[in-house]
Amino acid sequence: MEYVIVEFPTDRLVYIDGEKDGTTNTLLKVDAGTHDFDLGPVENYRPGSRKVTLSGTSSIDPRIITFYRKDDE
Amino acid sequence: MKRAALAAQVLLGGCASVLLGACASFPPNPPLAQYVPKSGYGFELVAAAPEDRRDELMVVVSFSGGGTRAAALAYGVLEALRDTTLQWQGGTVRLLDEVDVISSVSGGSFTAAYYALRGEAAFTEFPERFLYRDVQGALIGEMLSPASWPKLAGASYGRSDLAAEFYHRELFGQATYAALIAAKRRPFVILNATDMSTGTPFAFIQDQFDLMCSDLAGVPLARAVAASSAFPGALTPLTFQNYAGRCGYVQPPWVRNAANDHASRENPRRSARAENRLSLAATVADAQTGAAVPVRPYLHLTDGGVADNLGLREPINALTSNNHPWSLVRMMNNGPMKKLVIVAVNAATGASLARDQSAEVPGLFDTVFTAADVPLSNYSFDTVELLGKAVDDQVRDARLVDTCNRRSAEKGAQCALNLPSARRIDFYPVQVAFEYIASPEERDWFRKLETNFALKRGEVDRLTAMGRRLLLEDPHFQRLMKDLGGTISAPGIAPAPR
Repeated sequence: MEYVIVEFPTDRLVYIDGEKDGTTNTLLKVDAGTHDFDLGPVENYRPGSRKVTLSGTSSIDPRIITFYRKDDE
Repeated sequence: MKRAALAAQVLLGGCASVLLGACASFPPNPPLAQYVPKSGYGFELVAAAPEDRRDELMVVVSFSGGGTRAAALAYGVLEALRDTTLQWQGGTVRLLDEVDVISSVSGGSFTAAYYALRGEAAFTEFPERFLYRDVQGALIGEMLSPASWPKLAGASYGRSDLAAEFYHRELFGQATYAALIAAKRRPFVILNATDMSTGTPFAFIQDQFDLMCSDLAGVPLARAVAASSAFPGALTPLTFQNYAGRCGYVQPPWVRNAANDHASRENPRRSARAENRLSLAATVADAQTGAAVPVRPYLHLTDGGVADNLGLREPINALTSNNHPWSLVRMMNNGPMKKLVIVAVNAATGASLARDQSAEVPGLFDTVFTAADVPLSNYSFDTVELLGKAVDDQVRDARLVDTCNRRSAEKGAQCALNLPSARRIDFYPVQVAFEYIASPEERDWFRKLETNFALKRGEVDRLTAMGRRLLLEDPHFQRLMKDLGGTISAPGIAPAPR
């Protein structure tokens, strides 16, 4: 199992490969390989989605995937 | 003389045409008019939860193959789950009512399908209708009946089609998956067969049928059970029609990513699942009309045990992948799950050493059946190991975070790491298998039971009692009972359903 934290200034849903799959700023379990991450509707974040290949993470060294508010630009 | 020859010709020709005219073909599975994501028989449908559903406690049960032996052992476990009550969320619940998913193959599919269809009534009906019945004798009778010969003469109709008709009429009351969809209740029951050409598991759920643009609602339960239990050699594979390209099906986004990962070998298991989906849904342009037609217009399904004789591969995929129709990983990430119980019911028997008493070269049947059976047993051992590893990895990963946080905090507040933890899940991997019978004589008795559909009443009774006993003796089950204040009533004195 790979581990990911999707960072965003507020708590909101995380979508992995188009499916609701946990929330931002928490440790998420994801199977190895390439996945698409986004934060779903209300697209006030950038980038619109992230394609990430997960490999070699651990629960104490998760992959950090960061999204930013659009209005923070 | 001439007249006699002519009469014989006419007679033969007439017979042939009558026979050919009467030759049957497999009953086709219906096409799907339009693909609608997450509709039909799927986890989402049965999980459209009544308010009292307790998603925090997730219970997954698998039933192995092994003919009536497997069906009876599975039934004994179902009875024990019915008789077990737990203290949960301020109330008393029956463990059976908490079962969310049953995944089954072959003999175990009879019990799973019957319970899916009949619910509580299964406990009064199933033993007489199936377990105690000489189903094997009845099937042989059907096959030897002259009324069946014209059907069996058809090239696309086999012995399993006849068996499916028998189960449809005699066991499942002519029900199709539409009955399960209408019932909208848990558990979500997955009957597994094997795609004969690819050797991969084939689950009777709408997600699988979407790939073929076929509507599972119109498929008889009996046909799914017949495919799941079409033991190679004894029974023929069942044919299903593939209508891929006719319903506007769109693969989920993960499939392309996973298929593209093939070369990098990042997750070969996931890539293989993706490629299998692409293969089933693949189309080519028809040479004459240009219309999209399936690359594989027909699928031939054989016994689910060929790909996975425990029915555990689907639960393992759900436990290790976010990209699964009822991903347990996704449920963990999304929050409600606190306890995950996986009950693997395995009716595998032991190796037969009888042939080693003689110097005789083993015969053809012995060799062929051994070639089919021994790899299944070895593969089953690997499957159980895989489940154990999947659970252990997740437990260890959670413990690692806790240990780091504790150790770092011990060095002083300035050193505290405060690493975030994944949601904490308590795992209970329960195993019901003859190998855990303590007494060697008793174990030997169960492991020598044949794989057939005609066990004696006393054998069935011993199997159901053993299913119950092995469940109660499992250390993880005992831990669950302790953690949740469990009690079990005597057989036959079942607590009332909720």
